[in-house]
Amino acid sequence: MKNQNIDSIQEYKYGFSTDIENIKAPKGLTKKTIEFISEIKKEPKWMLEWRLKAFDRLKVSKEPNWQKPKFPKIDYQDLYYYSAPKSMKEKPKSLDDVDPKLIETYKKLGIPLNEQKRLSGVAVDAVFDSVSVATTFKDELTKKGIIFCPISEAIQKHPDLVKKYLGSVIPINDHYFATLNSAVFTDGSFVYIPPNTRCPMELSTYFRINASETGQFERTLIIADKGSYVSYLEGCTAPMRDENQLHAANVELIALDDAEIKYSTVQNWYPGDKEGKGGIYNFVTKRGACRGKNSKISWTQVETGSAITWKYPSCILQGDNSVGEFYSIAITNNYQKADTGTKMIHLGKNTKSKIISKGISAGKADNTYRGLVDIGRKASNSRNYTQCDSLLMGNKCGAHTVPYIKNKNSSSTIEHEATTSKINEDQLFYCNQRGLDQEEAVSLIVNGFCKDVLQQLPMEFAVEAQKLVGISLEGSVG
Amino acid sequence: MLENLKIDISEIDKIGKFTKQEKEFRVKNLDFFNEKGLPNKKDEDWKFSDLRQIVSKNFKKLDLKIEGSKNENFELIKDFDHNHIMIVDGRLNSTNFQFEEKEKIQIKKFLNENFKNKRERNPLVHLNHALANNGYFLDVADNYKFKKVLVIYNIFTKNLNDNILNIRNKIKIGKNSELHIFEIVINRSKKNFFNNTFDTIDLEESAVLKNICINNEKSSGFFHKFRKNRLLSNARLNSFIFPSGPKFNKIDLEFNLEGKNSECYLHGASYIDQNDHQEIKTRINHLAPNCKSYQKVKKVLDSEGKGIFQGKIFVKDIAQKTDAYQLSKAILLSENSEFDSKPELEIYADDVKCSHGSTSGSIDEDSIHYLMSRGLNRKEAIKLLVNGFLNEVIETIKSNSLRKYIQEKFESGFYEYKKH
Repeated sequence: MKNQNIDSIQEYKYGFSTDIENIKAPKGLTKKTIEFISEIKKEPKWMLEWRLKAFDRLKVSKEPNWQKPKFPKIDYQDLYYYSAPKSMKEKPKSLDDVDPKLIETYKKLGIPLNEQKRLSGVAVDAVFDSVSVATTFKDELTKKGIIFCPISEAIQKHPDLVKKYLGSVIPINDHYFATLNSAVFTDGSFVYIPPNTRCPMELSTYFRINASETGQFERTLIIADKGSYVSYLEGCTAPMRDENQLHAANVELIALDDAEIKYSTVQNWYPGDKEGKGGIYNFVTKRGACRGKNSKISWTQVETGSAITWKYPSCILQGDNSVGEFYSIAITNNYQKADTGTKMIHLGKNTKSKIISKGISAGKADNTYRGLVDIGRKASNSRNYTQCDSLLMGNKCGAHTVPYIKNKNSSSTIEHEATTSKINEDQLFYCNQRGLDQEEAVSLIVNGFCKDVLQQLPMEFAVEAQKLVGISLEGSVG
Repeated sequence: MLENLKIDISEIDKIGKFTKQEKEFRVKNLDFFNEKGLPNKKDEDWKFSDLRQIVSKNFKKLDLKIEGSKNENFELIKDFDHNHIMIVDGRLNSTNFQFEEKEKIQIKKFLNENFKNKRERNPLVHLNHALANNGYFLDVADNYKFKKVLVIYNIFTKNLNDNILNIRNKIKIGKNSELHIFEIVINRSKKNFFNNTFDTIDLEESAVLKNICINNEKSSGFFHKFRKNRLLSNARLNSFIFPSGPKFNKIDLEFNLEGKNSECYLHGASYIDQNDHQEIKTRINHLAPNCKSYQKVKKVLDSEGKGIFQGKIFVKDIAQKTDAYQLSKAILLSENSEFDSKPELEIYADDVKCSHGSTSGSIDEDSIHYLMSRGLNRKEAIKLLVNGFLNEVIETIKSNSLRKYIQEKFESGFYEYKKH
């Protein structure tokens, strides 16, 4: 009886899809598609040229193949690169104008989009498929001079900022998926925090993949000007679909002198069913540049979804005394495959970085930590500490650690440690003895194992993430 | 400038006469090698050691044939009693097993009998398959414990000049037998040469091998050694490597723990200076339950020295109760030195204890200050601390006479101390 209950809980919680008619770009990756996207977004000419430059590069670029999890060949000509809910043809003036079906979907997901959510202090820029539906809390942010809007809007209203920073961290001739994104990105968030401003609330975007056969290509650009601070949350859920959906987002962060950016992600996209059928391909490029002195970028991620995840949120520590942090939990179950980690490139003096990675592997899943710590010749007195721990549940899964460590500076110190183990029998026994059943005990122990990372998350996320950790592993023990 | 090494098939005939099968094997492997050429940094295993670039920078040509035939005399170690094998430029020269029962030991020139064609990851192994013409095969019978240590003198003579040597050795140790080997590289050549060795070591059930290898003399030798170790159940292998001297040295060690309860240990210590380049690469394959592996590699880098450690622990799904540990530590003494490492874990069994650690950095200023406040000058303080750092590895050698010998050899190897 009990097992049955567990099974029903373990099914993907957010697996529903809404019937909304879609406008779609013509199928396939062609110049026409890019022109179509650019036109429908009413983009200026320079933006189209930028996209086409990326498209040209794409013709000679090849998909990377060094990652551990291999994936079936993607037919890029068989994908739709743009789809928008039909009711978005004319932009809604207020929440009342928004398609009620959309609002309903968000309610199911628990996204705070209407007035009462104001109390929770979250401003939401919800991306439904590819177009931002509504942005709340704009007034309050505008008063402080903070720009938080869909990137398509920023391209029109703040072209100087976009021109200056877009592609400055992830250039258009980066690897295949980043370039693909540069050519066909449809929407995403743009954040600019003016000098000496502390963003008064956590900015948050919920991404949601809806239409079948649609790759999502968000582009996020966050700029923290001198002496500013921002905390950004990114949460993801996707409805249950059978076909593999490609997701190749680009996220660029830029921190100037004394600025700090905290970027947190909970990723819970459809991982495929128990037989490994379906699921999202999550090939994301996230990179932050600590350009200024004393700047700081901190990445926190909880990765529980997607069939295949390739993700290496990185920090380029250019400014002297800059700090990069990476906290990660990656949970894989059934046939999921995750290859994730970070790159810390130390270029400035007295730069510091810290990496805490926790990988949990169950079922027939594979979980890889892959990271690079590179301390350059000129980065004197730099410091890195890396810790990656893996937990294995069952003997059909795998846990791997592939760190690259380069030190060219004699006054810098690098420390790296990694461990792999299983859940301690004694701890399980202890919990069982005190009345917890196997599932509860595992959830408790795993949450303890992840504590270092979970406590880095903002409050709203921490609770959700803790539940997610438990749900992701149910049914994997015993 | 030697852009890319390509070797003509006719060279195989110059080495010797072979059966049809062997000839085919050699030709095929030479094809494999010529196809890829010397490895460069695009090969994952050579990411930090671009051999193609290193060779092209240092060699104008690489000859297979050694000109000159000067004989040289070498003094044997007098510090302790030992058996010995003398290898001169890769050739088995003489042997002496005066302390042992002769019928238990067989030693001869190595002959390859395994002609299976398969693609290797390492192009230099193909090169060795194709061109190996020297080496030894040591076979120890079952149930025999060596009474004295066996010293292998590996001598490189002045005859070497832009030569490439392809050497193949094999050591097989029978059930319940035990052997201690002390391998020492003596380098008389002042010219550049390239030594490409392929070793196979087989340990039968409950066999024990202790292997100490020291290559500490400053030389312009370029060394590459691939050693494949195979351990059956309850076998134990204990390796010490002290590879400080050569201009280029890459030691690629593979340990296959095929039998239950087998154990392997690897200890390494080296001091790398000038513009020497040294890489230690290990791969430990845990293929059976209850095995143990332990690695500890320490390096001190000075001047423009570059040190690399790539270590991988692989645990197969049936290899439950595995206990694997790996630690690499480096001290950088100079602004121009570099240490790169890639400690990898690939694990498919859940009931295991696997961990690795890797650190690199400068000498602790507090420790230097402590010693200086006790009257040492900075140079002496650093020397003492470096010595202590590396000695931790050497101290794990149990035999007193051997340990002392190595400690002396090692200290004389710290050349560039005057600078500090």
